[in-house]
Amino acid sequence: MTAVLRGPDLDRGRVAHSRPSLLLAGDEVVFAGQPVAVVVATSEAAASDGAALLDVEYEALDSVDSLEGAETDEVMVWPHGTPTAASSQAGLHGAETSSSDSGSASNVDERRVFERGDVEGALSGAHVVIDRTYRNARVHQAYLEPHAVVAVPGVRPGEVTVHTSTQGQYVVRAEVAGALGLRERDVKVVPMTVGGGFGAKYGILDALVAATALHVRAPVRMVLSRTEDMLTTTPTPETSIRVRLGVDAEGRVSALDVRAVIDNGVFRFGHAGIVATVIGGMYRCEHVRIETVEVLTNRAPVGAYRAPGVPQALFALESSVDEAARALGLDPLEFRLLNAVDGGDLTGTGRPWPDIGLRACLERVREHPLWRSRGSVPFEGVGLAVGGWPGGFSPAGAVCRVDSDGTVRLHVGSVDISGVHSSMVLIVAETLGVRPEDVEIVQGTTDSGPYAPASGGSQVTISLGGAVLDASRQVREQLRDLAAAHFEAHRDDVELEEGRARVRGVPAREVTFGQLAQLGERLPGGPGPVVAEGRASLKGGAPGFTAQLVRVRVDPDTGVVTPLEAVAVQDVGFAINPLLVEGQMHGGTAQGLSFGLYEGLRYEGGSVTTANFLEYVFPRALDLPTLEAVMVERPSEHGPFGARIVGEPPITAGAAAIANAIRDAAGVRVTALPVTSEMVWTLMRQEA
Amino acid sequence: MYTTEFDYHRAGSVQEALALLAANPDAKLLAGGHSLIPAMKLRLASPPALIDVSKVAGLRGIRLEGVEVVIGAMTTHRDVEFSDVLRAACPLLSQVAPLIGDPMVRNRGTVGGALAHADPAADYPASMLALGASMTIASTSGERTVPADEFFTGMFETAVAPGELLTEIRVPAATLGEGQAYEKFAHPASRYAIAGVAAVVRTQGGSVSSARVAMTGAGYHAMRLTKVEEALVGQTPTPEVVEAAVRGAVSPDELLGDHFASAEYRAHLVEVQARKAILRALGSAG
Ligand SMILES: Cc1cc2nc3c(=O)[nH]c(=O)nc-3n(C[C@H](O)[C@H](O)[C@H](O)COP(=O)(O)OP(=O)(O)OC[C@H]3O[C@@H](n4cnc5c(N)ncnc54)[C@H](O)[C@@H]3O)c2cc1C
Repeated sequence: MTAVLRGPDLDRGRVAHSRPSLLLAGDEVVFAGQPVAVVVATSEAAASDGAALLDVEYEALDSVDSLEGAETDEVMVWPHGTPTAASSQAGLHGAETSSSDSGSASNVDERRVFERGDVEGALSGAHVVIDRTYRNARVHQAYLEPHAVVAVPGVRPGEVTVHTSTQGQYVVRAEVAGALGLRERDVKVVPMTVGGGFGAKYGILDALVAATALHVRAPVRMVLSRTEDMLTTTPTPETSIRVRLGVDAEGRVSALDVRAVIDNGVFRFGHAGIVATVIGGMYRCEHVRIETVEVLTNRAPVGAYRAPGVPQALFALESSVDEAARALGLDPLEFRLLNAVDGGDLTGTGRPWPDIGLRACLERVREHPLWRSRGSVPFEGVGLAVGGWPGGFSPAGAVCRVDSDGTVRLHVGSVDISGVHSSMVLIVAETLGVRPEDVEIVQGTTDSGPYAPASGGSQVTISLGGAVLDASRQVREQLRDLAAAHFEAHRDDVELEEGRARVRGVPAREVTFGQLAQLGERLPGGPGPVVAEGRASLKGGAPGFTAQLVRVRVDPDTGVVTPLEAVAVQDVGFAINPLLVEGQMHGGTAQGLSFGLYEGLRYEGGSVTTANFLEYVFPRALDLPTLEAVMVERPSEHGPFGARIVGEPPITAGAAAIANAIRDAAGVRVTALPVTSEMVWTLMRQEA
Repeated sequence: MYTTEFDYHRAGSVQEALALLAANPDAKLLAGGHSLIPAMKLRLASPPALIDVSKVAGLRGIRLEGVEVVIGAMTTHRDVEFSDVLRAACPLLSQVAPLIGDPMVRNRGTVGGALAHADPAADYPASMLALGASMTIASTSGERTVPADEFFTGMFETAVAPGELLTEIRVPAATLGEGQAYEKFAHPASRYAIAGVAAVVRTQGGSVSSARVAMTGAGYHAMRLTKVEEALVGQTPTPEVVEAAVRGAVSPDELLGDHFASAEYRAHLVEVQARKAILRALGSAG
């Protein structure tokens, strides 16, 4: 064992206000899973032995263990006021950020109301009102690779290099610098290959490991065990969402009243804007009132998880929509089509959507055999739900250059968490006329990468794609200029194809891109080496919508729900790399179904009782049904080539689709997630 | 996570294993390691020494001895799964083994290790009760035989005393008119049993002449469902009779409950699995 560090050893006088800024606990621990000490040793085994020797004495204080308990303010998570910071991670996800309206000591961190029209009036005039409250358990991102960080102190005092598995290296740099009181230039982040992120890999341990490395003046590596990871990182929140949905006699949605209580754990987060945007933005409705209540509890802080807050919100909305259609005796698809929003209609926060493809997705579902041939097999049913995600978009830069052997190198500062860089390669290849295998991605660090946003909010393709396009167009023009000089021809007559330049009408003469690059590098007084910096900054987003079907069988004996078949229709705008897009649709749809049917962290008091894969339920390949991904391509006005965001929409509808399928199969309405077999069995017994 | 430091001994014979055990009273026997090593990694167990008995000569293998099948304690789940002897003489175990864990677990985990560990959610215990198996236990003072009915004494507790070694399991070979079946309701995460029911039923002249039905997973340890057995014997086994026999098979008061399955739900699952197992056993009676 080399060192044992406690809170005061690493304290730099900064207030921890978020999970990434948290170092070690002082003399008060606010959640189970909060780090209290670091043991540094020269092997993991020795570190484990050392940690086992530590004896921490805890005195139990009153705590806030539930969402309901939080709102009463009988016990306060932060009696002296909630620690805050100007930035919020939700902003990274394209969520609307907002300022707090309750800075005083209360567990209600933020209460917001988004209102238009007269909801109460409209509800009292409605033909049918569906009034239900929905719950969900916290869901963990459960990536395969637990958090892992290596921090190496720099040559100069106060400098540190952080090698980390992250979705956003610039975010981590800012977090580490902020938490440690360093200049950003003293923190270098080297992004490593990410073994699964889903929103949870911005920075959890980086500041702690960097502080430890600086303290012991040696490289420090920290890798969480699965249990540690599930206790100390940031799952998606538990919510309680009451929906009152009013529909008129013609089947038009006339009123929507929502109260969403969101458990953020010990720190502020900010799911309100996105929950309101989506829950009130799927169907046209004049009278809308959405109240969001973000509460604090003594549980691990929540964080981003693929489409943060939206699977929860749409489980509530889409279950109620299904019930409303049933109450009116309407086909659930036609009912949705009658009411679904289009470009120009309002989101839940009252802003107009840009051009979107929700209706196009529903129309495609209408044609699908699974929908058309919905049968009447006893205890089998088909559920439909729609989903969507506004998505993020941010300014980005990229550098493209051609090497002397003709290899095209694309330098980026973005992190590839899903294969997304392959789309960048395709953009370069398409623009220059080279084979994809002739394009190499150069992953930059925070020191060397051209700025790009974090790989979250589904935004990389649409944000970075424009910069890559810009850079490669410039490179194309540079190649053209060099070729024109070489051939002594007019630049407009130069054709670029298959890594070579030719003059129109003279197919026999050609020069390779490599030769042109050499020319640029060597020709005195010439145009110079082939290199260009591109940048882009979209003016608007490219939201993605989905409509999903799932067929299930419910075992009448036990309540076990078996998903048999799923279809995900998604408007992807334009699939730059169709294979990748399909992969995102498969993965996201699987996670959505899993959100509905399998996953949930269980708590006793403030402690997680399922912090390992023996107890935390999630599906294996054999538990998932056949997934069919159907792409609709309705080009976005903003994304490059018409591309839309793709990563997050597919997770948003599955939980609701499962619930609606169970309703169809077994006649019971589940209102809590994840759906367990006991829950369904109990409901069926009550029904009988 | 890492285990604490421990000494490792490999025994070549039963005598050697027992001698090592006597010399290292706090040591643990190591079989397939698929329950013990995870517990050590989580530091739920920190034995100062392990005595590896997985390679002890003569403890691995399945053979027919008269009217009994003898299974060496170090026989792996995979050996059980693919044994022709068992498929003919004790089809119940051929059904159980493939339901345990995954291929990696089955390649290393052993019957003896699983029985000695007596995890309340393990699969074999119900079958051993239903089969009326007996366990051979060796110690420095000799060998003794314990019937399955007396073997499982509590949660992770068996009749194997400190200093003793489980060496073999003896199972009566199936007779004419006997059917065997195991029905498992698995926990969706661990895939261990939440309610596993094994049934061994014999019919003669159209009625049930004997029935042994046992459950695992739902309670603190595996146990016989004697009420169900009694309700079957002497009856013509129609689906209605079976349905009536399994009703109230076990009281929720005797069972465990957790966030995934309450005691009440488990009691119901035991009924469902018992019904399925008995009907399937009846259907397969040779
Ligand atoms: C991922 C996973 C999934 C699993 N799923 C299942 C499942 O679905 N169903 C199921 O039933 N099991 C399951 N298991 C447990 C598995 O069957 C183990 O192999 C078994 O429980 C223990 O057998 P072992 O040979 O590995 O014993 P070990 O782990 O080596 O030993 C277990 C205990 O028995 C003692 N012991 C071992 N041999 C003897 C002996 N001869 N005499 C006296 N004491 C002895 C040891 O000292 C130790 O205390 C699973 C295990 C894993 C890792």
